[in-house]
Amino acid sequence: MTEFIHKNKRLLTWALYAGAGLALILLIGDQLAGLKAARIVQTLISGVLVGGVYGLVALGIVVINKASGVFNFAHGWMMVVGGMIFWSFFTVSEISLIGAGLLAAATMLMVMSTVSWRDLRQPRNIKITIAGIAILTLLMTIGGADWRWLHALTGTFAGAILTGLAVERFTIRPLIGQPLFTAVLMTLAVAEVLHGVTQIVWGTVELNLPVFVDPQTNSRFRPIRLDAFKDALDGVAIVRVELVIAFVLALVAFVGFLLFFRYTSVGLAMRATSEDQQLAQSVGLRVRVILAITWAVAAFLASIAGVLQGGAVGLSLNISFVALRVFPAVLLGGLESISGALVGGIIIGIVEQFGTLINSSEQMGTNLAPYVVLMVVLVIRPDGLFGEKRIERI
Amino acid sequence: MKSLCALLVLLLLIAGALPGLAQETLDYPSDLTECEVDMTGETLRIFHFGDLSGPYAFITQPIVSALTDAVNYWNGRGGVCGAQLEQVYEDTGGNREAAQSVYDRFTGAYGGDLDLLLLYSSDDGELLREQLAADEIVSFISAGSVESLYGEDGQTPGWLYASNPLYINQFGSFCQFVAASPEVFPDPVIGFVTWPNAFGRAGTEPAAREHCASLGVPVLEEPQFFLPTDTDILTQVQNAIDGGANIIYTNTLATGPALIAGTLVDLGMEDDVKLAGVNWVMDTSVGILGQRVLKPNGLPSTDGMFGSMPFLWWSELSSPAVQFVTQQFALNERSATEQNIAYLLTWGLADSVIETYIRTVNRVGSLSAVTGADIRETVETMDYQVLGGLLHHHYEEGMRDATLNRIAVLKYANTDMSGFATGPDDAMFIDIGGSMGYVPIVHALTDFMPVPQLRG
Repeated sequence: MTEFIHKNKRLLTWALYAGAGLALILLIGDQLAGLKAARIVQTLISGVLVGGVYGLVALGIVVINKASGVFNFAHGWMMVVGGMIFWSFFTVSEISLIGAGLLAAATMLMVMSTVSWRDLRQPRNIKITIAGIAILTLLMTIGGADWRWLHALTGTFAGAILTGLAVERFTIRPLIGQPLFTAVLMTLAVAEVLHGVTQIVWGTVELNLPVFVDPQTNSRFRPIRLDAFKDALDGVAIVRVELVIAFVLALVAFVGFLLFFRYTSVGLAMRATSEDQQLAQSVGLRVRVILAITWAVAAFLASIAGVLQGGAVGLSLNISFVALRVFPAVLLGGLESISGALVGGIIIGIVEQFGTLINSSEQMGTNLAPYVVLMVVLVIRPDGLFGEKRIERI
Repeated sequence: MKSLCALLVLLLLIAGALPGLAQETLDYPSDLTECEVDMTGETLRIFHFGDLSGPYAFITQPIVSALTDAVNYWNGRGGVCGAQLEQVYEDTGGNREAAQSVYDRFTGAYGGDLDLLLLYSSDDGELLREQLAADEIVSFISAGSVESLYGEDGQTPGWLYASNPLYINQFGSFCQFVAASPEVFPDPVIGFVTWPNAFGRAGTEPAAREHCASLGVPVLEEPQFFLPTDTDILTQVQNAIDGGANIIYTNTLATGPALIAGTLVDLGMEDDVKLAGVNWVMDTSVGILGQRVLKPNGLPSTDGMFGSMPFLWWSELSSPAVQFVTQQFALNERSATEQNIAYLLTWGLADSVIETYIRTVNRVGSLSAVTGADIRETVETMDYQVLGGLLHHHYEEGMRDATLNRIAVLKYANTDMSGFATGPDDAMFIDIGGSMGYVPIVHALTDFMPVPQLRG
């Protein structure tokens, strides 16, 4: 018997999971059978749309991991900082010229000194820095309240770049060559620093970020009602416009990054760096610059996610916890997979919603179902659905 | 309406439009016990910790502001019986481990000086219940769960004293209101849509369901839970409605009630399903956040939401306590977002602490001789109108929570402050954080009435 089990271990494992999966399907199927089609469709829509936002958050974590191998625990707080910067520019009617100028100056100085602080001494770089400061400051302050989108987007872009570069320069770069685990722990410290900075600068009170607002009613966009399918679904399903916008933006970001990593020299360099930093450096790739770009890109992605999440439910320190909810999505899709982040996010979104539909009273949707799915997938595919299978020679 | 006219005065004060009034400092509204012991040169520390940066930050952050203002007020007048007040606090972010760590640090650093601790969270209350008893430290908490105040059996009073009724009793009191208002709630069925922590679960116990059912108000057995980070709770709200609920009750605050109200509007159910909740839903923050989603009539989604109000509110300016706090709020140039329940009640809490210490020191002879047991003895023998009527401090026969409650409704003011807005055309708008917003008003629908005792 023992020998039989030992010989057929893999087959038995699969049979066990197949049995568990079948039982789960029967159980869920029984639960869903009594529901109207509209509820099931509604749950699916909600799951996909919420999952899109999860995917966007997951993408930021994956980008860092793909380039540096570091799992960034500070991503949630980067979301908060990005969202808060956007809020500062979006809701303040008169942007302080000095404040905008300081932000622009800090950003440009960090950008131009990416390779070395000595680069700032070169006359050409000085000119570029000054021009950059002038342009960013102008874009952040030009016009009145009607230009707030431009102010906010420019300010958020500059703030995200500054945050990403600062984190990389002062915390991650000194750890190049050190064990990866040290860098991972450093991201935990960065998270606490960003937490503190956010509290000091913006306080802890939740802020209203009216980005998904119908200008005519000054209210959130009305959801789209799928009345045309009322008879077929035996009810009406609705689609929340702000979640659709967030989902579309997430898709655009995914397509952009897929193309970026596949077809641009910087993207290819990032992939090479992620494979082996020392080898990449030995073939002439500027690892420092690539890591800096990666962190800046991740901070920008986090900022977008922060704005979308903040616009949907309000901007508070709580949104940092969204990143924690996204971890199963990252692992499910594969730590290094761009498309895996999206697919993982959507799967977790759907699983959460259906778990809630079936049993919200025990929080099955948020506390149990995503992790059960993650566990099953990791057992079958240890590198995630789209993760790269590593073969290490000993 | 008198309360609405009073609100106009309040708003003008906030805007700084009546600086002259602000110059005439109102007398402290409380009849504090006379000092029999001179505490000059000593420091009376007010210890507190809780979630100042997590899900409760919207409510709790103004606690620090109010205590800061209260401490400055007293120290600027020579202190309490000569003793200077000092605020000692830390943020736990709503994290239990952090709460334990801060508690250990406080007790380690201040030892015998820590006789009285202010807590905000039911979770912290449950966590520290046994430790407070072991360390003989009295704690004032806003409401608290059954377990935190009375133990798992609901019959063992501890060292925590709540200034509001237990959440489960508030829910029972709401059921009484529903049963007595068939014209507003025909064929009522209540469903819980709430947060999954100790605060959120309070009221979902079988005892509460049985009490409500006995009044002819059935409550769905399965509560629906969501997290403060959720962006979409259509599924939970629809689950409750499909279960038969036409009243949704929630133990959430700030974004929580606003999210449920917005979801009801999204579903087109705002007229069919009423929304109600614990005392924290009657907060300014909810009135402001509810404006993200407007009903088809143009009013915020939270318009008409019911809730408990076991204390006075900002608009009840006939009360000297509210007048006084309103003036202090203006004098300290606090922002409109801080004008919430927590700021108002924390002045009351500070008053309770001061009165408790004065009575205790008068009895034991000196501040340094005061122990937690002395404080407890004082608290249990006190019958005190906090700040002259903002709250009632009276714990007899093992009671650890307040026993009176009112039911109120959240509405929005109309342009001439003569009543409630019926739509955007007759609504008053003020600048709220950079954009024009409706003016939320909490209006009491009942007098103070005894709450049912449902803790088992």
